[in-house]
Amino acid sequence: MRPAMNSVVKIKKQRDWKRWTIHLFPIPALLIYGMFVVYPLFAALTYSFFDWKGIVRGDFVGLKNFKDLFTLEPFSGLFWNAFGHNILYFVLQMIFQNGLAFILAYIIYKKVKGSEFLKIAYFLPRLLSVIVVGFLWKLILNPNYGALNVILESLGLEHLQKAWLGDPDTALISIILVNCWYGIGFGVLIFLAGLQSIPKELFEAAKLDGANGLSMIRKIVLPLMVPSFMIMTVLTFIQSFEAFELVYAMQGSQGEPYHSTDTLAIYFYRLAFGGSAGGSTTAVGLGSALAVVLFIFISFFTALYLRYMQKKQVDM
Amino acid sequence: MKKMKAITFVGFLAFILIISACSSQSGGDSGESEGEVTLTIGSWRTEDKASYQKVIDKFNEENPDINVEFKPSKNTEYNTILNTALQSGEGPDIIHLRPYTPGIELADAGYLEPLDDLEGLDQYPEETLAASKGSDDKQYGVPLNISTTQMFYNKKIFDDLGLEEPQTWDEFLTLSQKIKDEGITPISLGTKEGWLLSLSHGIIGPAHYGGNEFVDSITAGETDFTSDEFQSSIDAMDEIKQFFPENFEGLGMEDIRTMFFTGDAAMFPLGSWEIEVLREMNPELELGFFPMPSAVGKDPTITTWVDGSYAINASSEQKEAAKKFLQFMTTEEFGTMFTEEFKMISAIPGIASEDELVNSLSQAVENQSTPYMMLVHFAGGNPSTKATIETELQGMYLGERTPEEVANTVQESAKSWYEPLQ
Repeated sequence: MRPAMNSVVKIKKQRDWKRWTIHLFPIPALLIYGMFVVYPLFAALTYSFFDWKGIVRGDFVGLKNFKDLFTLEPFSGLFWNAFGHNILYFVLQMIFQNGLAFILAYIIYKKVKGSEFLKIAYFLPRLLSVIVVGFLWKLILNPNYGALNVILESLGLEHLQKAWLGDPDTALISIILVNCWYGIGFGVLIFLAGLQSIPKELFEAAKLDGANGLSMIRKIVLPLMVPSFMIMTVLTFIQSFEAFELVYAMQGSQGEPYHSTDTLAIYFYRLAFGGSAGGSTTAVGLGSALAVVLFIFISFFTALYLRYMQKKQVDM
Repeated sequence: MKKMKAITFVGFLAFILIISACSSQSGGDSGESEGEVTLTIGSWRTEDKASYQKVIDKFNEENPDINVEFKPSKNTEYNTILNTALQSGEGPDIIHLRPYTPGIELADAGYLEPLDDLEGLDQYPEETLAASKGSDDKQYGVPLNISTTQMFYNKKIFDDLGLEEPQTWDEFLTLSQKIKDEGITPISLGTKEGWLLSLSHGIIGPAHYGGNEFVDSITAGETDFTSDEFQSSIDAMDEIKQFFPENFEGLGMEDIRTMFFTGDAAMFPLGSWEIEVLREMNPELELGFFPMPSAVGKDPTITTWVDGSYAINASSEQKEAAKKFLQFMTTEEFGTMFTEEFKMISAIPGIASEDELVNSLSQAVENQSTPYMMLVHFAGGNPSTKATIETELQGMYLGERTPEEVANTVQESAKSWYEPLQ
């Protein structure tokens, strides 16, 4: 009895030990995550409760920074202005990036020869650095020697020529469309994966029942692709409310011209870090308050949306 | 839940700094014998890297034990990078300090080492030292250079059209009209980047609000930004937009510089630091400048300020070596080298340059200078009054604001923090 028991205990111990060592492996990743995500999150939260003199922390002021952010001009005006731009960012991306991505994915899925090539071609911009994308499009959109205006001119469409990034009416929309161009390949991949996961038999059965092109999409494809749409919507939502890199690469940190390309993240950057050349001051407290608001907003709506969609999925 | 990029960005910056700090140390180790120290200089002058290397070589002739590395970062992001580094106790040993409010803010926060015992500081005039004097009245920086802004012009275009430097504001307008009639852009200025607007207002404004007298009375609280004098300076900014390039609202710094050095535009309202760049881009360019002629019967003006000082990081481990380098920066030897190499005006008084243009600029500075008011006096507040006039002027050029609204908003901004106006 005894030796047998011993060996059982031994094996169990070994298993325990093994099980424990497994838990050690995520530690490096958790450390990095903790240092660069969790810690800054809580740091920003604490920062937002203090008064800041330049970059030196002053007294505890409770919720004053939040109050100023929403009630004191020019901060509140700038906040809602940037907020509106984020919403526009989201809407346009949903329509142009995700809508087009779905259509392209469907076309690739259906028939077209060389779909592998197309897949790669659509995905290619995604491989470039955002800074490179921004720089390239800045050149293309340059009012006096940029490719876009030159092409318009050669087509005899001079009246459409514009200072695309200098006109407050077109600056933000130009940036958003560039972002769509940049992000469309990712959408195509997600939707294509969704399409390919639909069993072929379903299509055959539907065809036998008399479903044609459009009703096939409406009745078979769309309902079965809810998970893909869900993931793209959530990702686009998060991305549009964090929109920073491309705007920054194309217009800098001032939301120029005349705050027409300000997004919440750009506004945050300017508040917290000062941003512009030479003489600008920082407002770390206000910046942190804005970061906290942005975080709560994004997590709240993402959670709400995910819950809603999960319910919907069960219903089907 | 997905984390927030905006916040992780802080962490990311810190991460970059840690990496760069590590690499600089490991880089410095190689071939470093005992007793040698390595200093790093942080700056926003990426364009001056080669020139600084020459300065460092000169310094090393007498101080072979001190390795100096010049590590500039992008102009517009320098403040951010520096502030983040200082907050985490890092940062370069020697700091190229922004003048006036932003630099003094760092001194007041205790990030800089006081320099009061440094030899050679007494040669600078009081207003030059003021650019880096802390609120505690201690000196934190060695002034490097005087920057000026004025109207540059292409001498060849002026000669071809038989034009002469204007002596009055009306002459300036007539001349611009003539250039425009010839199909050449008179004034190379774009409004896409706000900082160019406060800068060009710094050139054109004094001709209308009446130079130093107005600056004295507004800093004493005797007048304000809604006064007729200041209002007329904004009106003038509006008036000259007819002489800007096509699509000016979409043009940035690079675009207008290119227009000027390629000869597509005749005049270029910018700063002395452009001289070197313009000549490098087009060595054939015949560059001239004129002080802004007054619209109210006063003397023409050159707009000046201290553009930068050098300070020592309070958490540097090499303060003694850093002081030696700053000491070197106060010498006539450095001043002469600086003027020749950088084509800028040294803050050290009485340094002559072999460059005719720079020399006549320094002379004009002695006789006709007026401060860059927005930078020297109104760079405080949040958002700063300087940033406010930038955005407001941009709005004016886009037709969103009237010149009156611009002046009123600037007044509101200044009133919120500038005591003499309260």
